[in-house]
Amino acid sequence: MPEWKLEIRKHLAGLDLRPEREAEIVEELSDHLQQSYEELRARGAADDEALREVMAEVDWRNFVPELQISQKAPSPETVPEGAASSGHLLEDLWKDLRFALRMLRKSPGFAAVAVLTLALGIGANTAVFTVVDSLILNPLPVENISTLAAVNSSEAKKAARSGDLEALSYLNLKDTRERTRAFRNLAGHSYPMAVTMTDKGEPRRIFAEIVTANYFETLGIHPSLGRFFLPGEDQTPGAAPVAVLGYTAWQSRFGGVSDILGQTITLDETPFTVIGVGPKGFKGVYAVFGPDLWIPSMMAEQVLPAEQRNALGDRGLPLFTGIGRLRPGVTLREAQAEMNIVGAALAKEDPDANDGKTLTVTPLIEAAYGPERQPVVLGGILLMAIVGFVLLIACSNLANLLLARASVRRQEIAVRLSLGAGRMRLIRQLLTESVLLGLFSGVLGFLFGYGGCRILESLRPAEYAQNLADLRLDESVFVFALAVALLTGLIFGIVPALRSSRVSVAEVLKEETRGAGRSRGRVGLANTLLAGQVAASLVLLVVAALFLRSIEREYLIDPGFQTKHLALVMLYPGQAGYDRVRTEQFYKQTLERIGRIPGISSVSWASNLPLWGRKETGIVVEGQEARKKSEAVQAVVDTVDLNYFSTLGIPVLEGRDFTQNDRDSRTPVAIINETMAAKYWPAQDVLGKRLELPHGNQFLQIVGVVKTTNYQALGEPPQPCVYIPLRQNFTDSMILYARSERDPSTVLAAVQAEIHSLDPGLPVEDMRTGTKVIDQALWWSKIGVGLLGVFGLLALGLASVGLYGIMAYSVNQRRREIGVRMALGAGERSVTLLVLRQGMTVVASGVVTGMVLALLLGRVLSRFLYGVSGSDPLSLAGAAFALLAVAFVACYLPARSASRLDPLVALREA
Amino acid sequence: MGMKVEEEWKKGSAGLLILSLLDGQPRHGYEIGKLIDLRSGGALHFHVASLYPLLYRLEEHGWIQGRWVEKPNQRRRRYYWLTPGGQRMLALERKKWREFAGAVGRIAGGEHA
Repeated sequence: MPEWKLEIRKHLAGLDLRPEREAEIVEELSDHLQQSYEELRARGAADDEALREVMAEVDWRNFVPELQISQKAPSPETVPEGAASSGHLLEDLWKDLRFALRMLRKSPGFAAVAVLTLALGIGANTAVFTVVDSLILNPLPVENISTLAAVNSSEAKKAARSGDLEALSYLNLKDTRERTRAFRNLAGHSYPMAVTMTDKGEPRRIFAEIVTANYFETLGIHPSLGRFFLPGEDQTPGAAPVAVLGYTAWQSRFGGVSDILGQTITLDETPFTVIGVGPKGFKGVYAVFGPDLWIPSMMAEQVLPAEQRNALGDRGLPLFTGIGRLRPGVTLREAQAEMNIVGAALAKEDPDANDGKTLTVTPLIEAAYGPERQPVVLGGILLMAIVGFVLLIACSNLANLLLARASVRRQEIAVRLSLGAGRMRLIRQLLTESVLLGLFSGVLGFLFGYGGCRILESLRPAEYAQNLADLRLDESVFVFALAVALLTGLIFGIVPALRSSRVSVAEVLKEETRGAGRSRGRVGLANTLLAGQVAASLVLLVVAALFLRSIEREYLIDPGFQTKHLALVMLYPGQAGYDRVRTEQFYKQTLERIGRIPGISSVSWASNLPLWGRKETGIVVEGQEARKKSEAVQAVVDTVDLNYFSTLGIPVLEGRDFTQNDRDSRTPVAIINETMAAKYWPAQDVLGKRLELPHGNQFLQIVGVVKTTNYQALGEPPQPCVYIPLRQNFTDSMILYARSERDPSTVLAAVQAEIHSLDPGLPVEDMRTGTKVIDQALWWSKIGVGLLGVFGLLALGLASVGLYGIMAYSVNQRRREIGVRMALGAGERSVTLLVLRQGMTVVASGVVTGMVLALLLGRVLSRFLYGVSGSDPLSLAGAAFALLAVAFVACYLPARSASRLDPLVALREA
Repeated sequence: MGMKVEEEWKKGSAGLLILSLLDGQPRHGYEIGKLIDLRSGGALHFHVASLYPLLYRLEEHGWIQGRWVEKPNQRRRRYYWLTPGGQRMLALERKKWREFAGAVGRIAGGEHA
């Protein structure tokens, strides 16, 4: 059989066809020629005659251009007439899209890496933007938040700082409401307080807020079911037991049943009728923690603990935060001026309760956080900055990929230009490709972000998940992700597209070899981007390492009390309808019963949860009464029972612990901590000295001094504390502290069973071990460190993928050079070193830049760190080492493949 | 050889010719070339280097589709089918051709007669 194939291949040589395609064409065409030949032979022609005739008939001149048209681009001339004029633009767009899809399908590796890289960057940004949007930018779904303000009480002499704000008493709120002109509406709400809800005989701890009837109207929100409170339901104490459920509580605790309206729920022994359900997404006006339901202020007595029962009649008992809607045209400053006058008037009218106090107006968006706003906002900014870095890395990765791809496609683009493709058309096609990449990554990134938010939500402590803010993944977040994706696609599509289309056709077509010199400039730009990526990921790794070390230190903080053998249970006997006698009996019986459980060595009661200390202002130190006006004495106040200090492992330094003899009839006593002793009785014998609590009516004699512990936060600066004995200061909600001999989790079940057998009507949901208390106190830090770690690793991963990609590309570009070197006797080792040196030089310059940046950032971050300096050598060295190790692998793989290059193949290809 | 039809005309109608031949029946390249030759009485002739680029271009447009087919005692061959899109294109081209031929006929033919 004649050698058709050789002849055909000769003519196909000018085309850059894929080998499979070329083989198909050769096969098809040679079959055709063979058939012509066989036919001629059958008709009787001689062998060489037939051969000559077959070959003579073929005119190869137009073969290559014709094939080029059909292989490279559908040429406009084959578009049927008439179809071109109408809807030209749309059709072109459709064609561009199909073409772009085909091009991406042709290089699935490039497409996958590009889409995944960008999607990870976008996903991280979407998740963090969702968190920032839900918690900081738009925390409360209320109407026109800028005209809402919180009104609180504060010390008149001090500069108002949000940390010193105190709630208003009901009477003060009522008087303020009657006098204000600046506020169109002034409502009041309590903090979310734990109440016992009994549902089908099963007691549960939920959170309720006591609000004035105009609360919802002031906020400008509407019920999703039923109605809110009527003015008439908030006029007579105890007259209207009605409740509004939160949307989440309705969904989760009542299964979202539609006939919830009119149902009766029992709160602390009082039946309430459900009259409405709040709007979706509304969980009160605190940004982070919200109630399950609301009840009118006139029902306060029914749910408040014993010591607050007379909240509606006692002007000195703070309970409500005022929420005011400004009258149109009135500024916050004007409202504050008015409140100063009202505050002064209240102080004058009722000096007993209001002396030295004034009213402070805070924008609601600030009040939504209380004193935690600043760290939350700073944390949000830090997180945004960090994911911004991650996105930068992802974008520069994509830019590098597109640059590399553009140089590979120079020949293709030149061919298309030479065939008359318009430059604008070409740019549009390339842009379509990168916008398409951006779109794919946007969609995938949105899914990543969504998943990330769900994971973050699932990390909320289960006991409070329903009361904690939800993350709202709304349209604005999606728009944000999409905009970032498209912008990235456009910016990094345009530069390479412009560069590619500017190529000189003749030059590139002539350019037979893959010129190493020509791509130097491109590699230079790529190297700069790469060094930047390395620097950015080093910074992120250092930040993650710093916070990891910081939280490690935080876990080592000694809170001043033992946590390893501690179990605690919150109990609210008052809420089960116990009177004082029965409650005291219950306290006593519980101590006896729990104390008998094997494995428990001591038991006590206290009113404060560890690290949730309640601070009181206005303590009077005997002999220093003058201090009252200028600087109020502030201290944590904790009501405790016998054996509290031994159960918690807090040493008594002076004097004695409380005893059986400290009962009502005897002299009232107190124990203080050493910080208080040193501050108010410096260099004196404290024992026997006296002080008076803000709402007390007699002086307490100090009988002991104990070691200072942490009361409100781990590692806090020492603060004064006063302990008073339960037997002299009755309260009906206490926390049971039990010290176990071994792991406290082993005795939790037995403790629960004992309390249940004492009274099945008491909820015992809130049981935790001391270690868990510390865990919860560090929850925010843990989440933060987790996020930083994830983003640090993400950055490292992206940067190493980029590094690998660009190294592999540059090795490919230098095949000829490497081939020559090897042909001239360079060994595998020296080639590996050559490539490694090139890559690691870039990495090293990135590491140096990153170190400088990390040190600068460390200074800013040091105020967020505990026990670690911003330039902690271990964090810096650890992060640098991790990065160098990963970078080395990313460079070594292409280096190894370069060293295994067959010089003959490399030279022939080139 | 008889008078060859002008190259330009040939080019313009090639698509229509190939689509028509594939209407209702798949054929391989040699067969298509042969049929054009035969049915035009030798006036139209496509050789390997002009026929196949055309076929590939039609395929690129999605109007025809090629598949390798193996038959007993024969080398495998690439057969071309008309796609639904090609069917529509053929109908359109035929209509345009009839209009064009009619118009040319009315002008050129009229003068002749």
